[in-house]
Amino acid sequence: MASLRELQRDVRRALLGRGDDAAAAAVVEDGLTAQARLGIYRHHVFTTLTAALQATFPVVCRLVDERFFAYAADQYIRQDPPAGPCLFEYGATFPAFLAEFPACEGLPYLADVARLEWAMNRALHAPDHVPIEPTVLRDQVSTVSGGEVFCLDPSLSLVASPWPIDRIWRANQPDADPDVTVDLRAGGVRLEVRRVGDDVVFRGLDPGAFAFRHALAESRRLAEAVGRARAVDEGFDLAAALAAFFAEGLLADIARAV
Amino acid sequence: MISGGVAVTPGQVGIGLRAPHVAEIMAGRPRIGWLEVHTENYLGGGPAARALGVIRESHPLSLHGVGLSLGSVEGLDRRHLARVAELARRIEPARVSEHLSWSMAGGVYFNHLLPLPYTEESLALVAAHVSQVQEALGRPLLVENPSSYLRFRHSSIPEPEFLGELSRRTGCGLLCDVNNVFVSCANLGDDPEAYLAALPPEAIGEIHLAGHTRNDADGHTMLIDDHGSRVAGPVWDLYERAVARFGPVPTLIEWDTDIPALDVLLEEARTAERILERLGAAGGVRGLAA
Repeated sequence: MASLRELQRDVRRALLGRGDDAAAAAVVEDGLTAQARLGIYRHHVFTTLTAALQATFPVVCRLVDERFFAYAADQYIRQDPPAGPCLFEYGATFPAFLAEFPACEGLPYLADVARLEWAMNRALHAPDHVPIEPTVLRDQVSTVSGGEVFCLDPSLSLVASPWPIDRIWRANQPDADPDVTVDLRAGGVRLEVRRVGDDVVFRGLDPGAFAFRHALAESRRLAEAVGRARAVDEGFDLAAALAAFFAEGLLADIARAV
Repeated sequence: MISGGVAVTPGQVGIGLRAPHVAEIMAGRPRIGWLEVHTENYLGGGPAARALGVIRESHPLSLHGVGLSLGSVEGLDRRHLARVAELARRIEPARVSEHLSWSMAGGVYFNHLLPLPYTEESLALVAAHVSQVQEALGRPLLVENPSSYLRFRHSSIPEPEFLGELSRRTGCGLLCDVNNVFVSCANLGDDPEAYLAALPPEAIGEIHLAGHTRNDADGHTMLIDDHGSRVAGPVWDLYERAVARFGPVPTLIEWDTDIPALDVLLEEARTAERILERLGAAGGVRGLAA
């Protein structure tokens, strides 16, 4: 008799399609094979996880059609099954999977559309934050050292792509005009994604603002973020950038790096 | 009275709150006894959390978990348990429930309710985990019978006895899913009435009802618990037996696939209410009264 530990290991293998002989040996057949009985559970697991991915990546699903999406999801689930019990948190690595998935080679923008959809999903479920007041920084302005680390709105993501993923996304919404086509040569985008109230929104940023916010979102110190912004935009204006931060309520806290 | 200050009248039946109905329910249109939500869908922030905060002001809620994996040998996920406990603290649900199953092994979460062998080893493990959850929540948990498509060769304890002993050891209540009893018994060749008779009535704190489908695989009929249709006639009959045995327990209509208009769920709820009334829910609904 297998211990519970061995049995769960064997069922895990069977569910991920890595061999179900050991698990099947522990199952009573009684009119239906052990493999068929285990197959019912495997089917439910893959159906649930595929539906969860479809809900998070609806535009990707629309771009490749539902059947192909199910095929890609099946491969992805086997390779990178969930590491947590919340379905809305599953799929962080799906864009990277699509980037490497040989069957998607003909759609070079697909992984970036998936990154945008993941950022939107993250924004939708992110914790609420209370923006700090501009006076907090004003009070500290005489002591700004450049060593500050900004803690930003937890719903914020920054997504850059050489493809017009914003237009691709809009053209594939349920209410989009079906006659609108997207010129893939239209050029790339630098997008900021966040939640405002209950709505997830995205918008394009100029190179300096994108580099600045991207660096701060990675918890880089203020001085380093300014350096990165000026590397792409010599005229980057720190005072204006900080004013925009407060106006947009992006700042949750300021810490000083040790 | 239950938490939130909402009076609960006898004989009330609830429905599972699903995304397509949230706006309608927030607008306060229909009268619904209580609402149950899937815990794991409300562990983030944003509009879902805000909607739940609004709905709890007008409806008693219960939290129904699918992710604690009470039967995993690798132990409970402490971070997940802490998140569940925090949600329960925030929304003060009337009841918190989970399943007699496991869903995690080797760090992989299958997000599905997987079957346990019913052995002394499993019983000791699940009992320890139920106690751990109850300690984190500061309240008793209700544990639900799963729908089953297989039985393990070395299972030595019948499922209702296993649940009864789990309740006796931990003080947990039981959530009797009558559709699951029907489906599992049909799939495994057991007698659903004998199953109900083997459950301890005093432990039953909630009943679930849902639809199932028939699937003919390899010349063998299996019932699939898909929560995608109205409650089947024989399941209503079994529900009457359950109410006769357990008393007027708060009852939930669940619907998860091909979700219909809210009115369809409300019709199902009315059917359950009529059964509760006919069988004499004079003493109030057990499990909701303080």
